[in-house]
Amino acid sequence: MITPTSDNIKLFHEPKDVLRMTVGDQYSVVQIEPRWAAPLSHPGQLLGLMNSKGEEVLLVPAVDSLSQENQEVIQRELDRRYLTSTVHKIVSAKVEFGATYWTVITERGQRDFVVQSLQENAQWLGERQLVFVDIDHNRFEVPDIDKLDPQSRKFIDSIL
Amino acid sequence: MKSKPINPSETEPSSTGALIRLVADLLESGDYGQRVLEVDAESVRVLEMNGALSATIPIADIHNARNEPVVGGGRLEVTTKKGEKLALISYTHTIAARFSEAARGIEQLAKGEELLINLKPQRTHCEKCKRLLPEVDGICPACVDRGKTLLRIARFMLPYKYWAIALAALAFLTTVLNLVPPILQGRLIDEVLQRHTNYPLLYQLIGVWVGIALTSSLINITRDRIVAKLAGSIAADLRATVYRAIEFLQLTYFDKKQVGAISSRVTTDTDRVWGFLVEGVPYFLLNGLMLVGVSAFLFWTNWFLALCILAPIPVIITIAVRFWKPMTQMFYKVGQKWARFYIHLNESLNGIRVVKAFAKEDSEFHKFTKRNVELQEAGVKADSRWFTIFGAMLFFSSLGTIICWLVGGAMVVRKELTLGEFYRIHAYLALIYGPIQWFAAVNNWFSRAMAGADRIFEIIDMEKEAYRLDDGVQHDIKGEVHFEDVRFGYDKSNPVLKDINFVAKPGEMIGLVGKSGAGKSTTINLIARFYEPDSGSIKIDGLDYREIELQHLRRQIGIVLQEPFLFNGTVAENIAYGKADATMEEIVEAARAANAHNFIMMKPDGYDQMVGERGAKLSGGERQRVSIARAILHDPRILILDEATSSVDVETEKQIQEAIGRLVAGRTTFAIAHRLSTLRNADRLIVLDRGKIVEVGTHEELMEKKGVFSKLVETQSEIQEIIGFDLGQAEAAK
Repeated sequence: MITPTSDNIKLFHEPKDVLRMTVGDQYSVVQIEPRWAAPLSHPGQLLGLMNSKGEEVLLVPAVDSLSQENQEVIQRELDRRYLTSTVHKIVSAKVEFGATYWTVITERGQRDFVVQSLQENAQWLGERQLVFVDIDHNRFEVPDIDKLDPQSRKFIDSIL
Repeated sequence: MKSKPINPSETEPSSTGALIRLVADLLESGDYGQRVLEVDAESVRVLEMNGALSATIPIADIHNARNEPVVGGGRLEVTTKKGEKLALISYTHTIAARFSEAARGIEQLAKGEELLINLKPQRTHCEKCKRLLPEVDGICPACVDRGKTLLRIARFMLPYKYWAIALAALAFLTTVLNLVPPILQGRLIDEVLQRHTNYPLLYQLIGVWVGIALTSSLINITRDRIVAKLAGSIAADLRATVYRAIEFLQLTYFDKKQVGAISSRVTTDTDRVWGFLVEGVPYFLLNGLMLVGVSAFLFWTNWFLALCILAPIPVIITIAVRFWKPMTQMFYKVGQKWARFYIHLNESLNGIRVVKAFAKEDSEFHKFTKRNVELQEAGVKADSRWFTIFGAMLFFSSLGTIICWLVGGAMVVRKELTLGEFYRIHAYLALIYGPIQWFAAVNNWFSRAMAGADRIFEIIDMEKEAYRLDDGVQHDIKGEVHFEDVRFGYDKSNPVLKDINFVAKPGEMIGLVGKSGAGKSTTINLIARFYEPDSGSIKIDGLDYREIELQHLRRQIGIVLQEPFLFNGTVAENIAYGKADATMEEIVEAARAANAHNFIMMKPDGYDQMVGERGAKLSGGERQRVSIARAILHDPRILILDEATSSVDVETEKQIQEAIGRLVAGRTTFAIAHRLSTLRNADRLIVLDRGKIVEVGTHEELMEKKGVFSKLVETQSEIQEIIGFDLGQAEAAK
């Protein structure tokens, strides 16, 4: 049985909601779940392909090392499995009654959320990267606060 | 990209005859938007908001349905009877629990069962002001009925009503007395100083002044002593009420909340409430009275001058109101920086051995410096802003004084005002600007106190465990435990236990075996009635255990946990935890039976040895034996041993095993053990796999059967052999 690599695998949905993988046209893993090893600190890198038992079948060093076709398929699956929103702009942010209220524009659209206990739920990953976890455990990532507009940065600076 | 924010609580009831209708908050593309899940007796459908049908699947084709957790949300998945898996609809965490419940409903319909789910709408936004709530189904701090809440918290003052009345009376007296000295000073100026005569009046007025100063001081001392008494008593009553309410909350509440968040209701929230009750209310009265009294006096003395000198007040109020919120925000930020600073300081000091071992002093100092500078910058910024605002307010306050001198001085020159009257007005100015600044800030204080009070009342009003059911049966347990078709899940759509049926006879020892996540701990959680079955029943001596009074039931159940929890106190107190009236002889006897006596005797203070917070001053094996002694003294009819020997060395394990052997005698025992060989003495083993019972029998029977249990034992033996082999090799290498 040959070992799967980025070059000899083929990923496809069959049936339409189940990700499947064939290795060198020799055998097939019927249910694959992609999991990022470090989605926040190393986006786009180290993608684990896990089987239905939760065992890693292959660790892809970088998604762009996969064929274009495989990248498209895997991206579709990743979009379904990672619902963290990326913040593009902060429309408003205020501290009231001990909680912080945020209105943000993300790649998914506009969203309001509340964060309690900022020291626990506003997580800094490095100097400029920030993840908010709201009261329902939804996640909002700011990959680089320097890339936000001045008004958005001002909101962050006034609170954090 | 959608620009309109989506309110995920818009889950309107069915208008189409559907049994379940839920609105999801994500579109198929992953953008925020709305899609509808509709379920009726025939099919499950996903509809777009324009009514277009995106997916449909007949109920008859469905094998099961579940909420598949994904990062940041969930998706509803159904598996068809052909084994095909279909992802129907995605949603954020905000509404995942409701879709989880819908999944359970779909399964019930697919099995032809009655639809028994709870889809109570979640409140994520305030119905009144549409503001997001800081907790799902929580209170809106901006819209709390302050009057109602204030009345409710005022009830905590009832036991001290006479003290409270005295406090109000003293506040009134203080106000009145504060008004008198300026009058005396005015008279002194007009009738003594300006006339350069009238010594008797001088002595008389000074005498009255001394009397007033003395009375004022006495009143202030008395008032502050009453405040201290009320503060202490009301704070203690509030904390006790909240703590008592938390004690009886159902465990599901503790599953959802962090311990820190719960403790803050006992500390921060109660502090806010009593702080306002005891310090806010009297000052409210005092400052309110002062403001009305002094203003009336000023207008009575000279309305025109009063109007002039009060002119800067609107400006001061505007500054206070305008800058209060940004200022609070800045101080909040300083609080954040302090928290980050403390976390780093605590971590690096607690982990100082690791820091030194890895020679990481420089990098830790670098991190420390960063936090320190952050804190410094935030502090400097907030304080600078505060002093600027405060300076501006002081300027406008002093403007009142300048106006007083300008207008009042001119009036004195024109003899429209005596010098004494002028001085009196000048003295009253100071009495009016203080309360004005206080009132500008009090609204925020009041709001926070009322929000804290509401969080407290939320706990007090929450549904409690049926701990002392009035109609609960007092049943002396003999020991038969009967699981009948038990099904249970922490998330109801993902049952952890399914179709569990077994009977444990009185005095029988049952070993619960299975891989991690098989449902062993959940089974014992159900036996202790920390949770109750979603369906089916658990009977004790033929009686549904929900009919037995909970406190009475738990008094007859003993638990020895993998990580035994000891309370900060002496060894003896911990052993006697379940039997407060135990004699010292009984405690020693229990400790002997638990093989704990000898190590206890070797401690400097023996049974009086303090065990420290969570028993930290004892080793793992010592803590375990104290907890076994505690269980022995408690003398339960049903005993639960949860991995009681997993974290100790072989010699200690032997001692603990001996102790357990004495403990289980004559009691119905349920034991979970990591090392399967330790369950050799069990009368029967129940093997669980993915929430179902797969094998039942004695150790020998199951080994002969060569099924799941035998495989588990083999795997464990192989691992131990490998470990043994590696150790052997390592030894040989030495």
